[in-house]
Amino acid sequence: MDKVKVGVFLSDCGKQLSEILDFNALTDYAKKVSGVAFIGKSAEFWRGRGLQLIVDAIKDGKINRVVVTESLPKLSEVNIVQAVEEAGLNPYLVEVIDLKDHCAWPHRKTPKEATEKAKAMLLGAIERAKLLEPIEKVEFPILKSALVIGGGIAGMQAAVDLADLGFKVNLVEKEPFLGGLAARAGRFFPTDDCAICIQSPASDVKTITHTSRKCVYRSGFSEIPDLNILTNSRVVGIEGVPGNYKVTIEKKPRYVNELKCVACDLCTTVCPVEVPDEYNAKLKKRKAIYMNVPNVCPPVYTIDESICKFQDCAKCVEVCPTEAIELNQKSKRITLNVGTIIVATGFQEFDSSVIKEYHYDDYPDVITNLELARMIDGFGPTGGAVVRPSNRKPAKKIVFIQCVGSRDRRYNSYCSSICCMISLKHAMLIKSAYPDTDVTVCYIDIRTTGREHEDYYERARKMGIKFVKGRPTEISREPETGKLVVDVEDALLHRFLELDADLVVLASAMVPSQGTKELAQITSSLSRFEAFLDEDGFFKEYNAKLRPTETKLRGIYICGGATFPKDAPTTSLHAHSAALKAAKFMTSGKIVKDQRTAVIDEEYCGNCVFCPVTCPYGAIDLVPTTEGHFVARVSDLMCEGCGICVGTCPLNAIELRHARPNQMLTQMKALMSVNGTSKPLVLAICCSECGGTAVDSSGMGMMQYPANVRVMKVPCTGILQVHQFLEAFKAGAEGVMVVGCKSDGCHYEVGSQKAEKKVELARTLLKEYGIEPKRLEMFNMVFIEGKQFAEAARTMTETLKKLGPLQLMGGS
Amino acid sequence: MALVTEERTASLTFAEELRQRMLGETINLCYQCGTCASSCPVAKITPSFNPREVIKLALLGERAEVVSGEAIWLCCSCYNCDERCPQKVAIPLAMYALRNIAFKEGFIPNIYSEFASAILDNGRIVPTSKFVEKKRPTLGLPPLQPTGVDALRKILSATGFVKLYQKKGGSS
Repeated sequence: MDKVKVGVFLSDCGKQLSEILDFNALTDYAKKVSGVAFIGKSAEFWRGRGLQLIVDAIKDGKINRVVVTESLPKLSEVNIVQAVEEAGLNPYLVEVIDLKDHCAWPHRKTPKEATEKAKAMLLGAIERAKLLEPIEKVEFPILKSALVIGGGIAGMQAAVDLADLGFKVNLVEKEPFLGGLAARAGRFFPTDDCAICIQSPASDVKTITHTSRKCVYRSGFSEIPDLNILTNSRVVGIEGVPGNYKVTIEKKPRYVNELKCVACDLCTTVCPVEVPDEYNAKLKKRKAIYMNVPNVCPPVYTIDESICKFQDCAKCVEVCPTEAIELNQKSKRITLNVGTIIVATGFQEFDSSVIKEYHYDDYPDVITNLELARMIDGFGPTGGAVVRPSNRKPAKKIVFIQCVGSRDRRYNSYCSSICCMISLKHAMLIKSAYPDTDVTVCYIDIRTTGREHEDYYERARKMGIKFVKGRPTEISREPETGKLVVDVEDALLHRFLELDADLVVLASAMVPSQGTKELAQITSSLSRFEAFLDEDGFFKEYNAKLRPTETKLRGIYICGGATFPKDAPTTSLHAHSAALKAAKFMTSGKIVKDQRTAVIDEEYCGNCVFCPVTCPYGAIDLVPTTEGHFVARVSDLMCEGCGICVGTCPLNAIELRHARPNQMLTQMKALMSVNGTSKPLVLAICCSECGGTAVDSSGMGMMQYPANVRVMKVPCTGILQVHQFLEAFKAGAEGVMVVGCKSDGCHYEVGSQKAEKKVELARTLLKEYGIEPKRLEMFNMVFIEGKQFAEAARTMTETLKKLGPLQLMGGS
Repeated sequence: MALVTEERTASLTFAEELRQRMLGETINLCYQCGTCASSCPVAKITPSFNPREVIKLALLGERAEVVSGEAIWLCCSCYNCDERCPQKVAIPLAMYALRNIAFKEGFIPNIYSEFASAILDNGRIVPTSKFVEKKRPTLGLPPLQPTGVDALRKILSATGFVKLYQKKGGSS
């Protein structure tokens, strides 16, 4: 290896800093540090002449390590690192420190101590830079194909987007027909237009216009060249890594050849097997060979294998004019290799029968909103008539009950968010078609928060729909007449009402669909995918604010009702967002990552399972060796470089390439070596994410804290080990502050929590060694809490002053 | 806000006071849906009791009104509301807690006073008579056993009930 030649570049930020810090003293100090080969000075180094100075020094071969003092290092570091790389030096041989926000500004009132601290920071950076090693880039291929799971509106919209962008898309739907809940809903609020239209695919060249939307059946959806639609299919296994997932799909037979069926309906006329049609709320019958609605996609009949008599009957085979019926079709397993997966498994209605007092199971005239939707639909079982299922007579008095199984801590404590609007839609559709119908909605709170939603509610009131604020306790039935009575307190009137009803409609909660639950099970092997579920069983995005469709695993996205009950516009929005993220991931065809990752010394690896179970990303596997034992191995693709494994390994067998323990120790010692009048020395170890930004922002805001508090950044506080705290004390620190992200807001999920436990453990040990535990403390902060950091730093200093000098056993 | 009197502001921790007496259950989750009221057999026959209103008043911190009022004594402990409350507010527990506070502060309706003295005197809430004792065998009921009123008094004394009761002007 070449001799280390460090270039030190001191920025005074346009004299802002030289008014506080003694830059001549700093320059003289840096000159004397061994290994320093070049010193440059400028107002700024992240652009212009300053940056050129760095580039020239590298190109001239004067330096092979770069130490820069700049303000806002995260921002300026990007430019510096890029320029360094272009100049031919590995970008990881650069160390940037922030003399402004970590030193000059928060210590304006004590320039002498600030200069001392600046020297220590400079020494720390130089010593660390000397130990830095080049880090190379690695590439992983990404297949330019996607799997979309779920053929409801979310899945279909996402599939169209990706296919339009030229990706090969596979759409898997467990039912024989596409459309999901939308196909049943009939109409959508607040426009009351058809539920089952989608954006036109770009492949629809003849009829597409900028503004066109199409019913699924005429949208050309099924003819998109790069779209492979797999109905009657389920995902049964997912393996692989981001960019190359291997998916196993089980496709149940349709028993009707999709290429031959002309949807002539002859088969259903001869089929002798009849069952209640679950698709139509069991209000009518369907045959064993059937199609659910006329405008369905794909427009191909299907055979319900659970009831078909097959060869014992085969009447449909005889009558089919195109020989489309193939009773000998078998289930098959299909394996797909895809770069990305979009989960769009949707939601379903809550099983209202568990609320016994509403008698959903026993009283046929108690139905749910989805069942009512089928009734209102002209294609539905009653041709649009709203009737009492018990006797098929028109329902003239209808009571809606809101929040059935939602906002209910016995079942689902969340608000399903769309049921108010659904009930309003149904109430108005009924009232418009049959104005003499008496419609009452019993509610706890009416929630109409979307655009035009309140107008919708207003229209309902104008139409004479009655609203009762009160949640009914019970539905009873008069034995003779079969009339229903809804027992409710009108909480505004303070009056008990017994509402007569021909039909009671339950606005049942929306819960995670069966498909969502099954997929969560299947994918649990993939880096603990089940952790993506929230407590209600919906898929949970990685970050609600910034990554609303992303999961912890690159290449796996979630959208639509699988994440929470949503109306159609929000579902579309979510689906487009997921498609964009998937497209963005696949476009380059490769993942380029630098090896800022963990590396395991297999000789020291003790065969334990601590790191594989601790890694939040499933990046570590135990692999067998030729000698018959196991060693841990890190996947550079999955590793995010947090170092939580480093902090966990009991044998110190793991290191991060970009934050080696010797680099940390050397920097720590340097930071504690220049003290002069700055006492008592405090080492603030902060993470490079939220916790670190709290330290930055205290400086940016010129919040004052004493210069004896010195800052060292690590990737994540989860990397810290107990012995490092002891080393800090040994190096001269009289107090140690650990500043991480919030416990539940760690960028690496569990790093802060691990650090908290480590600190707790270390405090116990300190007590054993006769050191006051108060000398070590953990803080959880975010950017906006700079003030709290400054306060904490002051408090720590005061505490240490009260405690007096640290007495180490055997020390001086 | 003019509506919030100083007294209300001062007693806003009433819900917290109840929570401690209700073994940690809170009434704060109540969103006034009225399921309890429409489940309540008492509320159906008298306007003097409505569990939803009692909870609302307690949440607003109307301590004096709730504790000195008649309503809290009318709950018949059928637990219908407890069974059906969508927010799992333990309404009967709240009523017991309120009664305990009321009793401690001397707000006890006469009928309950009489029950208390009957228990302390005879060990029974309902007084017996020669007539009742003669009637029992004809209904196939066993003769009444002695109540062990001394032991009962000791227990009630040990729990502090007797002292509290006497302090509040009980006759026993």
